[in-house]
Amino acid sequence: MANEANTSGKPLLTPFNIVAGIILILGAVVTVIRFTQGLGPVTNLSNYNPWGLWIGFDLLVGVALAAGGFVTSAACYIFGMKKFHCAVRPAILTGFLGYALVVLALNYDVGRPWRLPYPFIVSRGTTSMLFEVGACVALYLTVLFLEFSPAALEWLGLKTLRNLIHKLTLVLTIFGVVLSTLHQSSLGALFLIAPSKLHPLWYSAYLPIYFFISAIIAGLSMVIFEGAIVHHYFDDRMDKTHIAEKDSVALGFGKAASWVLAGYFIIKVIGIAVDNNWHYLATGYGIWYLVELLGFVALPCFLYAIGTREKNLTLMKWAAGWTVLGIVLNRLNVSLIAFNWHLPADERYIPSWMEVSITLFVITIGILVFRFIVTRMPILYKHPDYIESH
Amino acid sequence: MSITRRKFLGWMGAASAAAVAGKTAKAATNKEFPGYPQGLGVLFDVTRCIGCRRCEEACNEVNELPPPEIPFKELSVMDNKRRTDADHFTVVNSYNIPERKIGSVFRKIQCNHCLEPACASACFVKALKKTETGAVVYDASVCVGCRYCMIACPFEIPAYEYDEPLTPRIRKCTMCAPRVADGLLPGCVASCPTEALTFGKRDGLLKIARKRIQKHPDRYIDHIYGEREMGGTSWLYISDVPFSKIGLREDLGTKPAPEFTAGALGAVPMVVGLWPVLLTGIYAINKRKEKIAAGEQADAVAAAVEKANETAANNLAAAMETAEKEKTSAVEKAVKKALEEAAKREEPTEASEKDDTREDA
Amino acid sequence: MQKNTCTRQFVLLAVIAGMAFFAAETRASTVVADSNVAERSDVINIDAMTIFGPIERPTVEFLHDKHTQAAKKMGKDCLTCHPRDEDSGQLSIRYMRFGDMDKKTVMDTYHAGCITCHNEQLSAGETSGPVVCAGCHGKTKKTISNRQTVVMDNSLHLRHIRKTKGGCRICHHVYDIEAKKLVYKRREESACRYCHPDLPEDDRMTIREASHTACIGCHRRLTVQNKSSGPMECIACHDAEHQANIEKLPRVPRLRAGQPDFVFIKTEGEGDTEVKAARMNPVPFDHKAHETYNDTCHVCHHATLTGCGECHSTPGKREGSGISLEQAMHRNCIGCHEQRQLESACAGCHGFMSQSRQMPQTYCSTCHMAPPVGEVRTDADRMPVASAAEMLAARTPTLATYDMADVPEKVTIESLSETYAPVDMPHGKIVSALVNGIENNKLTAYFHTERGTLCRGCHHNSPATKTPPRCVSCHDKPFQEKTLFRPGLMAAYHQQCMGCHDQMGIEKPASRDCIGCHKEKRNHQ
Repeated sequence: MANEANTSGKPLLTPFNIVAGIILILGAVVTVIRFTQGLGPVTNLSNYNPWGLWIGFDLLVGVALAAGGFVTSAACYIFGMKKFHCAVRPAILTGFLGYALVVLALNYDVGRPWRLPYPFIVSRGTTSMLFEVGACVALYLTVLFLEFSPAALEWLGLKTLRNLIHKLTLVLTIFGVVLSTLHQSSLGALFLIAPSKLHPLWYSAYLPIYFFISAIIAGLSMVIFEGAIVHHYFDDRMDKTHIAEKDSVALGFGKAASWVLAGYFIIKVIGIAVDNNWHYLATGYGIWYLVELLGFVALPCFLYAIGTREKNLTLMKWAAGWTVLGIVLNRLNVSLIAFNWHLPADERYIPSWMEVSITLFVITIGILVFRFIVTRMPILYKHPDYIESH
Repeated sequence: MSITRRKFLGWMGAASAAAVAGKTAKAATNKEFPGYPQGLGVLFDVTRCIGCRRCEEACNEVNELPPPEIPFKELSVMDNKRRTDADHFTVVNSYNIPERKIGSVFRKIQCNHCLEPACASACFVKALKKTETGAVVYDASVCVGCRYCMIACPFEIPAYEYDEPLTPRIRKCTMCAPRVADGLLPGCVASCPTEALTFGKRDGLLKIARKRIQKHPDRYIDHIYGEREMGGTSWLYISDVPFSKIGLREDLGTKPAPEFTAGALGAVPMVVGLWPVLLTGIYAINKRKEKIAAGEQADAVAAAVEKANETAANNLAAAMETAEKEKTSAVEKAVKKALEEAAKREEPTEASEKDDTREDA
Repeated sequence: MQKNTCTRQFVLLAVIAGMAFFAAETRASTVVADSNVAERSDVINIDAMTIFGPIERPTVEFLHDKHTQAAKKMGKDCLTCHPRDEDSGQLSIRYMRFGDMDKKTVMDTYHAGCITCHNEQLSAGETSGPVVCAGCHGKTKKTISNRQTVVMDNSLHLRHIRKTKGGCRICHHVYDIEAKKLVYKRREESACRYCHPDLPEDDRMTIREASHTACIGCHRRLTVQNKSSGPMECIACHDAEHQANIEKLPRVPRLRAGQPDFVFIKTEGEGDTEVKAARMNPVPFDHKAHETYNDTCHVCHHATLTGCGECHSTPGKREGSGISLEQAMHRNCIGCHEQRQLESACAGCHGFMSQSRQMPQTYCSTCHMAPPVGEVRTDADRMPVASAAEMLAARTPTLATYDMADVPEKVTIESLSETYAPVDMPHGKIVSALVNGIENNKLTAYFHTERGTLCRGCHHNSPATKTPPRCVSCHDKPFQEKTLFRPGLMAAYHQQCMGCHDQMGIEKPASRDCIGCHKEKRNHQ
């Protein structure tokens, strides 16, 4: 059980705070440059490479890693796995923050951020994959906000409203799954329109399915990975039930991740077979592809399987971390590394330090907000007033 | 050099009539779209281009682009690989072809004005549109600046004003749609001294291209680039050197760009329609499982309780019976005893005490 | 504890940051076309294994001259690699074997031979070739073969005759089926290609095998005997530069193989049964003159030295691959003549003409000459009684042109003048340049018989006349739907002038040098 008293009295100048502070200041400076000088001076984007780190990492990776929310809530509320209940709120919080940060990062990337609602209110370009992405992200962010709100409302003590929203849990969960299915896959489908630019090993008509399935993997792994970290840093915020249940969450999700990874591996291989792209495997890009497929799909699949079999929690955590890295790698491969592979080296894209600093800035904000919320709201423990109410 | 105004009005009229007749270009459909019948275009003949950069200059003037750093008279810049950017809607590059009698060939690049443009289908605010006259035009007033059109364009044409902080636009060739509407020729076409650029209805351009190839089969590659590439483009090319050697990709295929995403977009309604049903179903099954489980548990508990009660009742009855018997016998005994010991007048309550203890058991 | 926690948070942040960097840095470089690929004429692609089915490793790129030089340095000669057939005394052109027996033997021969020698060299401390698989069986080729086939033209042939003092039998032979051996038959000498095919056929040597065995074999014998001889290196015969330096004899007398000086090219093949009165006239042909136009006989006599009609009949015969007499002759004669149109003197006009155009019918009789007036022909073969020589002598080709006095000296083009001043076109100079280019050309003279013919190079699509219509009569505004294929006036001028200059290789004025033709406007009004 935690309370406010615990946080007070801690020193403000911890190494983490110092680094976070530096990143925030740097980010703020770059933000000013971005909105006064344009994307040109800040980024290494070019006419050949219109999308860089902010889309490849902040958007694609951000959304994939925020998939924990829908995966966990679906497992708990729809598939009736009540034993994972304690993982729902942290996952929803991560999801909500993840999506909020995606939208924040988009404000940096698009030319006229205040027009982001235009696709819905001014001119609807429904033939665009990006329209689907935008619509789903907007709606899902709302859903996540509502799903998360009970925690905030409990903290604020608004009982009636909290109970009202709590009644919507199932509807929101179903909504969340539908929206996540659509836009996790549509992020992959964004690249369907450019078969001439994406390397054939990564380009596939199955891209949307790959993105969706790998998002489930990312969601499962993030819950384990994040659970491990949260347990490490915030165990004073966790109640007995959470501490007791977290191991079963890790084992259960790890087992699921192992199966989904196996399935993902199979459909990736099928994708190569369907397009008969075997010969590309012998090229430099092919080796890189195999690194991704064997090192970051097949390997974690095995690690999870062994972890499940031996009930080895440490292995589970490492496998989760490795898988998350693999998802990052996959998204960067599709959006940056294997994209524009036909261009000569001097026309390829490498992010500028300012782009990296904004990405770090956004991540730091995420971590800080997460810390703020976790240390205050009933995320890792049950609010004493609502123990019985689920 | 210009086209008669009357003819242009005629073309425009026909084009708008076609539009009114309901032939609209839908980006994501599996129906074949052969292009607007009155759609205009330009045929670029590589063999005729002398690389004078007049078209670049005219484009710059007509579109009121910033004056170039290196004057258009300077021809050496063509040896570098240049592409279209925010300040250059068209670029002519020089390609060295050793096998050719005359060393270099020149190829002009600009927006190809696809019949079914990837950029237009990718735009989520419809800022890019294919008009009935053939041009793919851009409307900055709704553009968000997401640059997905640049990702989508297989010809790598749209450019972005990266140095504009708040009002960046996508920049590309408009096929001089405003000039054409005024009955003028596109700037580049009007300025070309050799008619390496031929302007007209796409159908007519295809005829011209075929005739030139037929006339000089040894000279031309027997292919009209843009006739079918990416579903066809309004800008067409014929050449005496392989297209891939002058920077025109020959691996793009003939599928219009919208078809690449049509499948994924088509799946959306299915997901929206089926997922909730499926998920609610799964939820209901789980709920029912729980309910049944709970019911069975309750039943089991009830049965157990009932059984216990029954046993208890039986025991009670048996006990009662025994008690009754004992009572009777006790009474009898008592009577007997009373009778026997009437004389004594002693021990009157023993039997009732025994009754109590038995009921407790 | 708290401090520790924060350090770990920092590490986590650092890891994420590192990941972002790493992912962006790991950009595989794109394949860049290798500009360092050397062009050589001695590249032999060792693909001996391909005849045994699919190959397991890429074929081997072998540089023959490089090996010859290396062997020489080591004091080795041809015999190191090419064994001698004791019966004929000739060296095999194959590597350390006479024939391709079976897959394993051939493979082992190469592997044992090459690797052993390379190893020996290496252990002797010399630079040497590869000794591991991928060293030879590389996927990317390091050289491009620019090998040119070598032609035994009349000059080279004569040099060989002189050198061997008329020893025709040294090279020429025929196969005696009875005796089952090669014998020399006088007066039956013909081109090697007639018997030695490009690709293996029956048990005949390919032309490649035969020529290398014979030529190099002979050169080698002479070299061994310390006599002057022809070269043995690949580069000497197969490199374009070296070929250009092969000594040419100034005057080569005619090679006699019993051929006629003049001949009638028949319009019917051997065995054509239906002889119709409607057959074209036979073509009197100056065989002797055409011998000097070509390097070898087999330019025309591609399969035998016999007459064309033996294999090509009117409907086409099996021996002639079904190609009819008409096709064979027209393709050969007209095809060759049309090649001449590509010469710079002709290409200025002819480059514009459609390649798929129909020949004017009046040109038929230029070759298919009508027999002299009063001539009577026998029905059997319709051969005129007059000889081909007489008919040809009676026809003297003359190039017809207008009197230069009638040709305008200067034409001013001003109707389009806008940015520049009007152009003064040196019309007379252009006409004389065209005339001078073809004046002494006999072939041209046969076909430019009308005075206006030459003018039509520019003044096309109008009758040949001294006063052709102005360009603007047809070429007006561009892109008219009714005249879809007609360029506008400005383009018509530019295309005509620049196109002709390009085709004729006239470098000045360059197409992009506007003021080479147009004068700057002095004052803008």
